[in-house]
Amino acid sequence: MMINAQKLGKNTIKTFRYLTGYYELLCYFIKNIRLLHKAPIRAVLYKQVYFTGIEALSKVALIGVLIGIVIITQIVNIAGSNAVLIGKILVWTVVRELGPLLAAIIIIARSGTAIASELGSMKVSGETDSLRIMGINPVEYLLIPRIAGITISVFILTFYFQITAIAGGLGFTSIVRELPFVQHLKVIFSALSLFEISVSLTKSLVFGLLISTVSCYQGFSVKSSITEIPQAATRAVMQSLFLVFIFDGIITLISFA
Amino acid sequence: MIRFENVTTKNFDSLSFEIEKASAYKIITNSDYENRELLNIMLGLEKPEYGRVFIFNEDLCTLPEKELGRLFSRVGAVLIDGGMISNLKVWENIVLPVWYHSGKISEDIEKKAIQRFEETGMDISYLGELMGKLPGPLPVHEKRLIGFIRASLLEPELMIYDSIFEGLSPEMSETLIRVSGTFHSGKAGRTSVYITPDEQSVEGIKADTVLRL
Repeated sequence: MMINAQKLGKNTIKTFRYLTGYYELLCYFIKNIRLLHKAPIRAVLYKQVYFTGIEALSKVALIGVLIGIVIITQIVNIAGSNAVLIGKILVWTVVRELGPLLAAIIIIARSGTAIASELGSMKVSGETDSLRIMGINPVEYLLIPRIAGITISVFILTFYFQITAIAGGLGFTSIVRELPFVQHLKVIFSALSLFEISVSLTKSLVFGLLISTVSCYQGFSVKSSITEIPQAATRAVMQSLFLVFIFDGIITLISFA
Repeated sequence: MIRFENVTTKNFDSLSFEIEKASAYKIITNSDYENRELLNIMLGLEKPEYGRVFIFNEDLCTLPEKELGRLFSRVGAVLIDGGMISNLKVWENIVLPVWYHSGKISEDIEKKAIQRFEETGMDISYLGELMGKLPGPLPVHEKRLIGFIRASLLEPELMIYDSIFEGLSPEMSETLIRVSGTFHSGKAGRTSVYITPDEQSVEGIKADTVLRL
């Protein structure tokens, strides 16, 4: 019992330390976002958007189409070919929930681990020290463009996922089930309000900031041992997932409750 | 230029010395570990347990991070492993500090970098190929050479060399000694500091003072 209480206390302190670290890094990013106008930092930002956003487009499109097919098939099975109901459920699931959430999960799996490992190995091999010696602040040069790049990528991929899920799902079912594609698309657009879109995009921005801050913080917390790198990558993934789900719940409650 | 005042760490007990402007110094340490610690303290990466370290009359132990960045844009350092950034190609590595501090890569900088490579006797056709490579698989002498050219492009007043002549073939070592000597004498008032535990590797360097720790 004593040991459990001790362990619980240690874990609470550790969690608190991480949360404080994430908050500080996020504040640092917001305070120094203007540094993105510096050409070398902007070059890192472009690379990050390319690796995290553009290279993931095909995977996101494929997953989007598959999810769209699954959702529409289930709706048609339950509710028949009621265009209004299909449109509304599709907007509720894909635009409100699955779009931001799945885009975030794909980026956590694809880029969260990559960033934590990359930054961790840069720390271990002394590359961050090399930057300092050149008079370059490694937090400014490495973290600010990564946080901005991932946030932009989540934002874009969420939008892209929603389009492919809706278009792909409707396209597939209109061929297989002979449902009128254009009629369903019109219903979806009429069911889609500016509020739904802004909540979805707010979620994607928040998720992007969370994933990037956690991954960068964990990668940068590696000190000198190579064995710390996989541990940091695992923590980056698990804590990003937790935070994304928690904030998804909070935003949904605030917006729709 | 550099002043150590009663610096005390695990390896050093009240270490004090001063390196004058416009001079070449060899500092011979007793081990790799001591070498690393001295270099880290000199480059502001580690703080001593006790004592103070001054570069350009500014106390490294009390300067905030931003000021350290400004200060080290005036210092060049060539590390034993070259100090390359692994995800940047060789050319991006070379121009990074100039680009970061001046905001642009002028034609002059490009010419100067090529000229420095030519001074080493490197084949110009290989140079083009080298610039597009990632530094990871390059041999250590090339990494050190690239590190030297990168540091020299900012025309620093103070250049610090970390055991870069160790473990090289005599020809390669000679080339590096020659280019570092040319760089030192290329501008009046320049200071060069060679730190190494291997005195033999810096025998070919003409220094004003040799400091044995």
